[in-house]
Amino acid sequence: MTFIAADVNELALSIFAAVVALTLFVTYLASKRVTSATDFWAAGRGLTGVQNGFAIAGDYMSAASFLGIAGLIFLFGFDGFLYSVGFLVAFLTVLFLLGERMRNSGKYTIADVLSFRMKERPARSAAALGTLSVAGFYLIAQMVGAGVLIQALVGIDFTLSVILTGAFMIVYIVMGGMLATSWVQIIKAVLLMTATIVLTLFVLGKVGWNPVNLFTEARAESPEGQAYLEPGLFLSSPIDTVSLGLALVLGTAGLPHILMRFFTVPDAKAARSSVMWAVVLIGGFYVMTTALGFGARAILGSGAEEAVGSGGNLAAPLLAEEVGGGAGTVGGDLFLAIIAAVAFATILAVVAGLVISASGAVAHDVWSNVVRHGKDSEKEEIWVAKIAAVGIGAIAIAIAVIGGEGLNVSFMVGLAFAVAASAIFPALLLALTWRRFNTSGSITGVLVGVISSIALVIISPTVWPGPDSEGGALGFYDLANPGIVSIPLGFIGCWLGTVLSREAVAERSFDELYVRSETGLGAEAGTGLTLTGRRSGARAAAVTTTLPYL
Amino acid sequence: MTEPHGTTAGRAEEAAEEWHSGTDHHPEIDWVAAERSPEFRELVKKKNAFVVPATIFFLAWYTGFVLLCGYAPGFMGEEFLVDGLTVGYVLALSQFVMVWGLAAWYLRKSDREFDPLAKRAADRAVELAETGAAGGRFERSQEDAPTAAEEVTRR
Repeated sequence: MTFIAADVNELALSIFAAVVALTLFVTYLASKRVTSATDFWAAGRGLTGVQNGFAIAGDYMSAASFLGIAGLIFLFGFDGFLYSVGFLVAFLTVLFLLGERMRNSGKYTIADVLSFRMKERPARSAAALGTLSVAGFYLIAQMVGAGVLIQALVGIDFTLSVILTGAFMIVYIVMGGMLATSWVQIIKAVLLMTATIVLTLFVLGKVGWNPVNLFTEARAESPEGQAYLEPGLFLSSPIDTVSLGLALVLGTAGLPHILMRFFTVPDAKAARSSVMWAVVLIGGFYVMTTALGFGARAILGSGAEEAVGSGGNLAAPLLAEEVGGGAGTVGGDLFLAIIAAVAFATILAVVAGLVISASGAVAHDVWSNVVRHGKDSEKEEIWVAKIAAVGIGAIAIAIAVIGGEGLNVSFMVGLAFAVAASAIFPALLLALTWRRFNTSGSITGVLVGVISSIALVIISPTVWPGPDSEGGALGFYDLANPGIVSIPLGFIGCWLGTVLSREAVAERSFDELYVRSETGLGAEAGTGLTLTGRRSGARAAAVTTTLPYL
Repeated sequence: MTEPHGTTAGRAEEAAEEWHSGTDHHPEIDWVAAERSPEFRELVKKKNAFVVPATIFFLAWYTGFVLLCGYAPGFMGEEFLVDGLTVGYVLALSQFVMVWGLAAWYLRKSDREFDPLAKRAADRAVELAETGAAGGRFERSQEDAPTAAEEVTRR
């Protein structure tokens, strides 16, 4: 095999294989159960709050959080931890403003909620555009990241790594839909949390079980000294820091693959408790990034700056190798291999979530409701979804392979969050809370949000003229993170489009959406689906909210 | 944007096409009456009394933290109680505590307060639909005649 380099890490490869085998087994179980559209898109709404909480954590924490944040903290100290804080606080936005409402009033995609009281085809198309932009940017970044990481950690060639990642993700979705995707995410969350807890304990043991020693020892190992423990080494522009912070905290509430997870539980109460489980897991994980990042600096020292790579992505794996006993020892090799496999599982779970949300936008929104006017059968919709998943996966693989490992993806996750915060979040929030909001408002809002985010990122210094340049192409504008400009623009777009038109129907049917989103009345029931069968007497939405004569 | 106000069957069909929604609508419920019911108003009032201040608080606490990181890095780097622990890190940890605390508080309030209110509001809406279907429909349609477009959206 020419694709596999001579220094392939066989131990890591076998642990990879074990993880993949487990996910494929789960997919096989799921493939025997998934029959209806509700099964395929929403796992039959049969997940419990705990299961969905783990799945949200698995869906959300990408390799960028696991390896990226540890690397950023290792390289730049405190600034890396700023990401941890933003990624977590974002879940309060989800909990208070959108989670339960999505569950109560939507079916399979965010467009269901956005277009509920609008002219269906234009509103749905706009929502699909937003979903595809976010999922597309995020997916390409993850695929390139997967290739780079697997090549570095296991020794499999970049191209083959990307193709393998893409192939598994397509298999999960085509065979097992959301049920398989959810369980892949649950498995990943368990693996990630376990590995991180063990690694944290080892690191704490190394610094005498006193967490504060992490900081003093890291400071001693950094040429920056005390500045390593202060903000400003990575995010040197204050306004950019604020802009990033806003995009993180509002963007999460507009990520289609996260919002879609709320359709997988039976009722609003389960949606709520899944957020609670998610914040316990995600928060616990991000607190531990302290040990991973500062610990890597304290234990590996400044000498490792070369070895961790330009983004610091290898800081956590190298730390694992070191606390396991060092390179060449059995413990060191084993720990490195485990962390590499966990990183791989992490990527698989995230890309699967992204692709199923994108295929929802293509099949349920564009095909079923815009092209076929809602007259297609469930069977046809599922088939189109599977074809879409294969197509989207193939396109993402192609872009990642053609772009190669040199493709600058560092701005792409930021761009995905910016589009989510500026295009999707404003339109969804206003659709649920502002009676006057209408079709033209939602279209202008989404378009302004998408276009302004992309345009501002293109003219940002990191993209044009390019990374490491001084100042932006346009001179006066030098923000790397567009949120502080594009989020207000998204809201203004929604407002302007609305006040320039009048739609009595949209305003009248606000009452229905409002009452349903707050009470759960008329919410879609589940099919009682579980991984191993169906619950007898499939539990409907919630006993009280089921209309007796519907 | 023009609002569909069809008067003939053909235009009504056109409007139905334009406004059709993939999410099933439930015209058998009088949603306007449900929204105006005191039960629903109480739910919304009680819920907003928690959610609105809580949202303002967490956004303010978080934005304040980010602003301090951006504009007062020196202050964030000051020692807090022991050497090595900075004000910035302690404030960052306070964000974690805030998230867990507010989320747990909201869950508790939802279980004890908002869910029962939501159930009452939902029951009331069903009740209104049942009584409306039995007798009140004629009077209501007289005083608030729905347009053709509304009629089809509701169908």
